[in-house]
Amino acid sequence: MNRAGLRAVRFSSFSALVRPKALLYLAVLSLAALLLLSFGLTHGSLPIPASAIGRALFAPESLTAEARYIVMDIRLPRLLMAVLCGAMLGMAGAAMQSITRNGLADPGLIGVKEGCSAAVLLLIFQFPALGPYWRPLIGMAGGLLTALLVVALARDISRPRFILIGIGVSWAFAAAMGVFMTTADVRDVQTAMLWLAGSLHAASWTLVGIAAAWTVPAFTLLLFTARAADVALLGNHTATGLGVRTSRLALLRVFAPVVLTAACVSCVGSIGFVGLIAPHMARLLLRGGQTALLTGSAVLGALLVLAADNVGRLAFLPLQLPAGIVISLIGGPFFLLLLWQRRDRF
Amino acid sequence: MMRTSVAFILFTLLLLAGAIAHLSIGARVIAPRTVVDAFFHFDPRNFEHSVIVRLRLMRLCAALVTGAALGVAGVLLQSVIRNPLGEPHILGLNAGAALAVVLTSALGLSLPFGRPLIAAAGAAALFLLVLTFSSSGRTGLTPMKVTLCGVAMSGFASSITATVLILDEQTLLAMRTWLAGDLAGVIGETIASAAGAAAVGFALALWLSPSLNMLALGDRMAQGLGVSLLKTRLLSLLAIALLCGAAVSVAGPIGFIGLVVPQLIRRLVSVDLRVMVPLSALCGALVLLMADIAARTLFTPYELATGVMTALVGAPVFILMASRMFK
Repeated sequence: MNRAGLRAVRFSSFSALVRPKALLYLAVLSLAALLLLSFGLTHGSLPIPASAIGRALFAPESLTAEARYIVMDIRLPRLLMAVLCGAMLGMAGAAMQSITRNGLADPGLIGVKEGCSAAVLLLIFQFPALGPYWRPLIGMAGGLLTALLVVALARDISRPRFILIGIGVSWAFAAAMGVFMTTADVRDVQTAMLWLAGSLHAASWTLVGIAAAWTVPAFTLLLFTARAADVALLGNHTATGLGVRTSRLALLRVFAPVVLTAACVSCVGSIGFVGLIAPHMARLLLRGGQTALLTGSAVLGALLVLAADNVGRLAFLPLQLPAGIVISLIGGPFFLLLLWQRRDRF
Repeated sequence: MMRTSVAFILFTLLLLAGAIAHLSIGARVIAPRTVVDAFFHFDPRNFEHSVIVRLRLMRLCAALVTGAALGVAGVLLQSVIRNPLGEPHILGLNAGAALAVVLTSALGLSLPFGRPLIAAAGAAALFLLVLTFSSSGRTGLTPMKVTLCGVAMSGFASSITATVLILDEQTLLAMRTWLAGDLAGVIGETIASAAGAAAVGFALALWLSPSLNMLALGDRMAQGLGVSLLKTRLLSLLAIALLCGAAVSVAGPIGFIGLVVPQLIRRLVSVDLRVMVPLSALCGALVLLMADIAARTLFTPYELATGVMTALVGAPVFILMASRMFK
């Protein structure tokens, strides 16, 4: 064990440096997420005792049909969706912040969210026959195009200007969405409203499947590029000298967060600020390289969205607040805090 | 001087033409001649005349008051923070005003001084927060910090507004169309009280413009020329809040008028605030009239909210200006 608290783990020809402390933190955080998950499963407008949940998982027949329906088809997909979305958004933010070397970068903040929503709205209005499976794909195309547009307009992605231009682009797309909403057929507008308000209450097993299908490849991609990203933080020249293909790395590492964000937005509508909060908290708690940051942000993001969803669902019964709004209530002050930390820099 | 008077005459004429066009457009198009007739030879039995005077005139007045107030508010904001990106929507004043109105309505408070003043108080409170927050740090009040801070505060205020609206259905029903930033369905009473607030704000702006001119030379220079910095800034803040409150209380949050108008005048006419303040009132009213006309005619038979139209044009302008300003 060296001074940074790193320990080498060897497994035949593979080896890795891990920090037991970081692993411990991760375990505690995952445990907290699990606890929140089971809390969410048991609480709601119909309280179900924890023992019944345990039985439901292993022997579904023992529950009444009503309780089984509520647990398996309403609460479980919703909570899993919250976990998945939080993880996706957290990872997206972590990757975006490291590649742009800009602590304020968050794919949700720079217009990817709005670009993606606008693309999905177009899909709903122009091709209402296409099912929800197409939404992530189209949303992703929209999100990627938006990201490209912002990068092209801002040119230098490591400056605060990048954020400002992203915000401008997101305003433009929000206005475009307003146009679509007012000029479309009323029935399609209803579908669109449901999707836009999204929140997590519309989650179903299909959507969980779609989200998971996009999370896994993007997460693997990010994990495989984590080491190169560590090196890239040293600056373009040094990284190139050390054998990193910086332009390809940048392409992959911008692509993955946009895919993650777009998939998330097309499944549950807009949830902001997770990609901003989770990586900063992860950096504070775990320190270490990109791998630790990535996993930490994923777990913290999941925890955040779960907590927000539980608060929004239970705090004002019988009314529900969408998780996105609960998070933006925390996210606004958090963004201001980040600005406060950087107050001498720009 | 020549240029200024030409600009005044030109903008007044354009505004007149715009007003007539605005009055003639609607569910049924009325010929401009009939519009003019409705004012000079009003005939109560003529259906078209009564449509114009009873219904459409209201919307025209709302557009004029809102546009003028937003234009002047933009000029004042930009000169107080010395930043061409200063605009009520970007810096969060609109969001603060909307939050104040929604909150008072949700709490069931019916204050004696009406919506414009509540909105003005909200706008002032949020803007003060943004100012104190962004003037911290060694670099002081830089354009980047003010803008980012304003955007963040504005986002925060809107999320509180959204929370209140979701939790209180009654307020949501009352406020929904108003929050979209639309001129449709404005009533005379609101316009009258807003016009009062806007007039006070405008008078204050006119009175302050010589001192603001000197403020543009720099704090030291202005102080040497006998301008009281604190007094000028506080009074301009008051004027900005009144103007914003008036605009928001009539039409809801409408953005980007205050960004485009001062820029236009600065480029085309003059940088002298004594000229800019009255001209931007004219120009702001004109721009909002055009935006309203476009919002109602571009996608017939649908009508866009006026705020959507201004954002559609204003957001690209913002991007352009931001990318020029921050190299």
